[in-house]
Amino acid sequence: MTRILIVEDNQTNLALMEYLLRAFGYEVLTAHDGEHGIAMAARDLPDLILMDLQLPGISGFESAARIREASSATQVPIIAVTAFAMVGDRERVLAEGFDGYISKPITPETFVSEIEAYLPPGRRAVRGDPRP
Amino acid sequence: MLVNSQAELLFGYLGPELLGQPVEILIPASFRRGHQNHREGYFSQPRVRRMGEGLTLYGRRKDGSEFPVEISLSPLQTDEGRLVTAAIRDVTERQRVERSLAEKNLELERANQTKDRFLATMSHELRTPLNAIIGFTGTLLMRLPGPLTTDQEQQLQTVQSSARHLLALINDLLDLAKVESGKVELRFERIDCRELIDEVAAALAPLARAKGLLFDVHCPPGSVHVRSDRRALSQILLNLAANAIKFTPAGYVRIEAAHEGSRPIIRVVDSGPGIREEDRHRLFRAFEQLESTASLRHEGSGLGLHLSHRLAELLNAEISLTPTPGGGSTFSVLLPEVS
Repeated sequence: MTRILIVEDNQTNLALMEYLLRAFGYEVLTAHDGEHGIAMAARDLPDLILMDLQLPGISGFESAARIREASSATQVPIIAVTAFAMVGDRERVLAEGFDGYISKPITPETFVSEIEAYLPPGRRAVRGDPRP
Repeated sequence: MLVNSQAELLFGYLGPELLGQPVEILIPASFRRGHQNHREGYFSQPRVRRMGEGLTLYGRRKDGSEFPVEISLSPLQTDEGRLVTAAIRDVTERQRVERSLAEKNLELERANQTKDRFLATMSHELRTPLNAIIGFTGTLLMRLPGPLTTDQEQQLQTVQSSARHLLALINDLLDLAKVESGKVELRFERIDCRELIDEVAAALAPLARAKGLLFDVHCPPGSVHVRSDRRALSQILLNLAANAIKFTPAGYVRIEAAHEGSRPIIRVVDSGPGIREEDRHRLFRAFEQLESTASLRHEGSGLGLHLSHRLAELLNAEISLTPTPGGGSTFSVLLPEVS
């Protein structure tokens, strides 16, 4: 099963993303800070990482850079998910080595397909009726 | 020493009391010796010294109180030999004002920093709970947890559209605050208008489609280039085009790029109800939303046009409004010539 790691300190945001991805058939791992995120990225080898930028302790930018440095997870797509939606922020995120950017609040109707755009076709969940 | 009446007032002596006294009597004790040396040096090489040259000195009144002064000196050749005229100005008040200005500036600086921190924090804190509201309303409406009754669906739709309205308001407010505080970083680059307009059109096409409007782009690729900030310009066009779609009940909305003289111009043309001549001057102000013909309050912050106007100023561009021939409004963004 395709594995997605979410690194997010806000419990509610985390619950929403986790719910959506599970409903569409993904295995979801969660970390509440950068330190755990970095460790899980190396240990559990997720197929994709969703990274909040304003994390306590090690920032999202720093966490992404460290995940990239670890030899085991250099290729994993890392998507920034953040409320940094003020004018001029998007460019910075893309310049700092993220593969993509999703601004909060996420749009539930399109969230999963936006994420899937970063997965190789073979790793996308088989779309059935997502209702449990 | 001879003094005039102003000096008598300033130092609290009567003129005759100072006759025959050295000038050092008017100077605080601690400065006297130094002053005596300066004075002797000055007499050997006298020249005019204007008010405010040199350091602030101190004067001493008859009652012993001290106060800051500025002096100017002019040598004076007389029958009784060389004299020096000293004009003395009490700068107590000026120093007080300068100090209080410096304090005020520091206070303002601090207040401004507090405001910036506040905005950055609020940006995050306001959006986070909205994320939850919009998000879980969305999952409910997607029926992921289970089926909905008609009433439940309608009420959830109201929750969702209100939350989206609130989000638009917060976004506009925060963007505006960033513009007002000069915190927008601009990167001017050469942009193919067609590319930019296509991005904007792609974002808004679903809105136009939902209203059954004809929505198209008139701009041959490579025909019009601008030198501008991509993000700011696309935000302006998004605002103008979203407005056009919102206020046009039927017909079309078109985004087109062309040249006006040597300057590039991008127009958002609609076939909507148009805007009355007498209302046009209010359009670009904050929190103005004109009553529409159906006196229906449209969803929106009332900040979009004001924000666009401010962003255009940063880009040295001008936004103007003209009626569309045959009915409707045309908003034009006239950009600087590409050198």
